[in-house]
Amino acid sequence: MSDSHDSPNFIQYLIKLFYLVGGVLVAGTLITVIIDVAFKMSLAVSAIVGLSIALVKASFVVAIFMHYKWDKKLIMITWTMILTFIFFAGMMGLIMWAEGDIPRWGREEVPVVWPVLASLLGLILPASFAALTIKILSQSAAVAKEAAPKTKAKRVTRKKKKD
Amino acid sequence: MEIPFTVKPRPDTGLYNGKLGIWLFLASEVMLFGALFSSYVLLRVGAADGTWSMGLMDVVVGAGNTMVLIASSMFVVLAWAELKQGNLAGYKKWKWATVACAVLFLMVKWAYEWPSKFVHYDVWFKNSAVLHQKVEEGYLYDGKKLETELLEEEDDAKLSLARLYLEKEIYVERFFKTFSKEDGGSRKAFNQAWDTGSLALSGHINGYDEAQINVEISGWKSDSGVLEANADKVLLKLGVSGDQGVTKKLRNQGGILKEMVGYDEAKRAEYELTKAGFSVNLSVAGYESVKAHPWFWRTGRINEDIGGKPRVKSILFALDESHNEENGDHKEISINTDDVKRLNSYEPKHSTFFGIYYTITGLHAAHVFGGIIVMLYNLLPIGLKTWHRDREQYANRIECFGLFWHFVDLVWIFLFPVLYIL
Repeated sequence: MSDSHDSPNFIQYLIKLFYLVGGVLVAGTLITVIIDVAFKMSLAVSAIVGLSIALVKASFVVAIFMHYKWDKKLIMITWTMILTFIFFAGMMGLIMWAEGDIPRWGREEVPVVWPVLASLLGLILPASFAALTIKILSQSAAVAKEAAPKTKAKRVTRKKKKD
Repeated sequence: MEIPFTVKPRPDTGLYNGKLGIWLFLASEVMLFGALFSSYVLLRVGAADGTWSMGLMDVVVGAGNTMVLIASSMFVVLAWAELKQGNLAGYKKWKWATVACAVLFLMVKWAYEWPSKFVHYDVWFKNSAVLHQKVEEGYLYDGKKLETELLEEEDDAKLSLARLYLEKEIYVERFFKTFSKEDGGSRKAFNQAWDTGSLALSGHINGYDEAQINVEISGWKSDSGVLEANADKVLLKLGVSGDQGVTKKLRNQGGILKEMVGYDEAKRAEYELTKAGFSVNLSVAGYESVKAHPWFWRTGRINEDIGGKPRVKSILFALDESHNEENGDHKEISINTDDVKRLNSYEPKHSTFFGIYYTITGLHAAHVFGGIIVMLYNLLPIGLKTWHRDREQYANRIECFGLFWHFVDLVWIFLFPVLYIL
């Protein structure tokens, strides 16, 4: 949480929001169970439905409970999350790749689109890691230069206090 | 030494150090759980029909546990909000509520969900005729009760009611989740399994007849390298009473050493005696009924050969989804172990699903357990020292813990549909 949002009114607003999100999460769980009990679905459909609801619930947890909504201008957290997401997507992509089984390219059961998408993800993964790392490194260096004089000044004042 | 940037944000990152640290930690956790989730996907996609989730996951219990964890996630963030307002008592209240929820979550896992799979068994028969007979015996009552309902959509009136009940209530929806393009894929899979006898009956073992074993000594090899005196000592240790004459007689002429003893005792005696140069025969003298719910039994346990007879003669099997005429309990049938091709409980060794299930939920439970320890530390006087020294630092520490706890909740939010619904 950034410092500008520490006022008592804002905390009160947050508490209301927390209760609301708790309600949303419980409702999401109930909906998942009800759908599972009421409808007979194929594996693909139930996976899409179940995981979509889980994704909505997860977004609420990250955005509100973990204060990401107010923290996203903090560039380090965002980069951490983006990198993690790319890692995760890449991992799932590799799994699809394994399932698609490149050597048996032409076999009927696997639509060609899956291995193609998977190999793209597999290429994007290392490439984006490299690109983003370079970007982060250059950015933090620039900020550090600006901030450098300030930190020095602080250190000086601290020393004075101790003396 | 003062730790830098516990309260004020570090200028170049814009965050206090703890928060950046916990986010990086969570990123590595995503990778850890991501690896397990992707393993799950690979195993799930490759699983044969009827081998996934085994119809043993209780969605209602799972949903209840999910809500307990959601509540704890909400309590932990409310605790932080109280702390931000400087209300320590309110913080403690919410934090203890979080601990209570976490303990409840673990207790449901530990005392109910996990162990219940180990006393649950599947039985396959050698012969399809035996399977059909046992189904008639176990499910006829339930079939008769639901006769009109079962026969409503059924064209083939030749099918027995018991079979229809088994098919509708247990198998076609729970096990054979085949959704092939042609109509009735699940039904086809069921029919094939029924005809070949490769259909398992599942339930609990309520009792069994276990062998009572005689241990007989048939002779002693004097050239075995064991001294006579030492061989006698072994006999005395195994409970032979009397003077030297008795042991000498046993050594020279043989004879029955123990009568009607349990498996463990007989096997221990056999081991000790063989080591001391005796030749030993084990034979089954009779069977004793035991009322117990065994854990971790496998095929090898029931049909282990003891002098030509099986170690367990028959099991009393309480069938899933069947009801007794008198008291509404599960219907018990007696199964001879001679007829059994395979028996197993749902330990990871026997099931890919439970292998990955225990791995993921176990790792998740370890996170919950670790979280409880951290919360208790923060609630005890030793942890509260920080609050009395620097309130902002303590609030930040609790915020960091909250981030971890929300992540644990997040993992479960995805685990719930993946394990219980798919």
